Amino acid sequence: MLSIDRNKVSTVFLGLLVPLLLLITMEVVGTTEILPSQIIVPPHRIYALLLDMLSTGELFGHLRCSVVRVLSGFAIGAGAGFLLGVLMALVPRLQRALTPLLISFNQVPLFGWVPFLMILFGIDEQFKIVFVSLAAFFPMLLNTFEGIHGVPIVYLEVARAFEFNNGKLMRKVLFPAALPSIFTGIKLSLGFSWMSVIGAELIAASEGVGFMIVWGRQLFQMDIVYVGIITVGTVGYVMFRGLEVLESSLMKWHRKNV
Amino acid sequence: MNNRGALEIRNVRKTYSGKDKDIHVLEDINLSINPGEFVSIIGLSGCGKTTLLRHIVGLEAEYEGDILLDGKRLNGPSLDRGIVFQDHRLFPWLTVEKNIALGIIGKTEKEKKEIVDSHIELVGLNGFGKNYPYQLSGGMSQRAAIARALVNQPKILLLDEPLGALDALTRMYMHRELERIWKKENITMIMVTHDVEEALYLSDKIVVMSAKPGRIQKVISVPLSRPRDRAGHDFADMKESVLEEFMLHTEHHFSFAI
Repeated sequence: MLSIDRNKVSTVFLGLLVPLLLLITMEVVGTTEILPSQIIVPPHRIYALLLDMLSTGELFGHLRCSVVRVLSGFAIGAGAGFLLGVLMALVPRLQRALTPLLISFNQVPLFGWVPFLMILFGIDEQFKIVFVSLAAFFPMLLNTFEGIHGVPIVYLEVARAFEFNNGKLMRKVLFPAALPSIFTGIKLSLGFSWMSVIGAELIAASEGVGFMIVWGRQLFQMDIVYVGIITVGTVGYVMFRGLEVLESSLMKWHRKNV
Repeated sequence: MNNRGALEIRNVRKTYSGKDKDIHVLEDINLSINPGEFVSIIGLSGCGKTTLLRHIVGLEAEYEGDILLDGKRLNGPSLDRGIVFQDHRLFPWLTVEKNIALGIIGKTEKEKKEIVDSHIELVGLNGFGKNYPYQLSGGMSQRAAIARALVNQPKILLLDEPLGALDALTRMYMHRELERIWKKENITMIMVTHDVEEALYLSDKIVVMSAKPGRIQKVISVPLSRPRDRAGHDFADMKESVLEEFMLHTEHHFSFAI
């Protein structure tokens, strides 16, 4: 037990060490003006601004706006990706019909869609949510499909020998066997959603964390840019870790088994 | 309780059409298995013993000839035949209890629980119902797989090298357990194995198969009284006569070589 605890402590320590060194370097470089402090803002000033923006509720307003966009886009995109992934895994003909198209679509960088989406949906909320959905769609589709398609034949034979009907096959075999892969899909999909919402807000927005970053640059207030970047990174980190905790509590069997 | 099944195999052939020539996996298989008998099918790898068993389970559908269970021609899997695979094939995402309950159809939750509990007791896994498969040893996993196969009270239990992956001592212990379960359940059992001693210890009848084409070379009845003494003189004699079936082949080749 002791060695596990020590391991945990050293993991946390090492994980904090590098960001801490980075902050110290920035502080030194910024305050000594080795580089202009307008560009490399010393962390104590970023921190002061962060506190200020938190207390006025400004940061929270931007954050809420981005999070709402992410969640709506993620729900639509990942939901559609999940459903299509399940269908393609269960209906081989559908899979053969759609695979070439989907592979080519997946090669198009997300930002390659922007002009097209702008013409179709304008530059308002609708555009951003569609853009996020698109980002969330492919990772979810791919991982759901792979998960269900890749269920080992040995388990399917058990299901046949025990005369499972389709519902039971889905509930007891296909879905749980595919769950690790589906979770990978959810993690990737949510990560892509978060990145894409910031991207969409950089392009056109009047609110949101991405907009905050652009706005800071336009005012040449780099401290606002830094607060934006730190917020994006921290929220992304929390989402990722949250999903990991959920994953390992849902699938205790998995880590030990593989 | 009397739900012992009688199996009648008549002129069964199975041919895979290969590129240049057809491969005769099974040829002229004729075999009668009486209700309540313990029968082992033994032979070298590639003799078709597992294929024959898979036909009896119903996992291989197409065949020529007839396999009759209590007079009815088999066509696909059914709950009246239980199966234990070599790799236990428990679902890693379910506890032992839930794995065992998988086979039960059309019972209330209370009845289900009673059936599961009594079968956990039957295979000697008391106290392990809530464990996941990764927490079990190889022998315990096979016990759980046997319980899962028996919950529907099948007429025949089919075992495909069920102890092949276990260490020698565990295997000998499991022989005793299998015999006990066979007596207690009063059921017909057919086991594929390549272990002569295992076959002798358990079987009323040993079916020796030879390869290319896969056919029955000899059916040997084992009239020894139970429980059998592995160190006994009669046991050793019988073992010699079964081994002879395989050595005959070797001599045959040898005479050609000279």
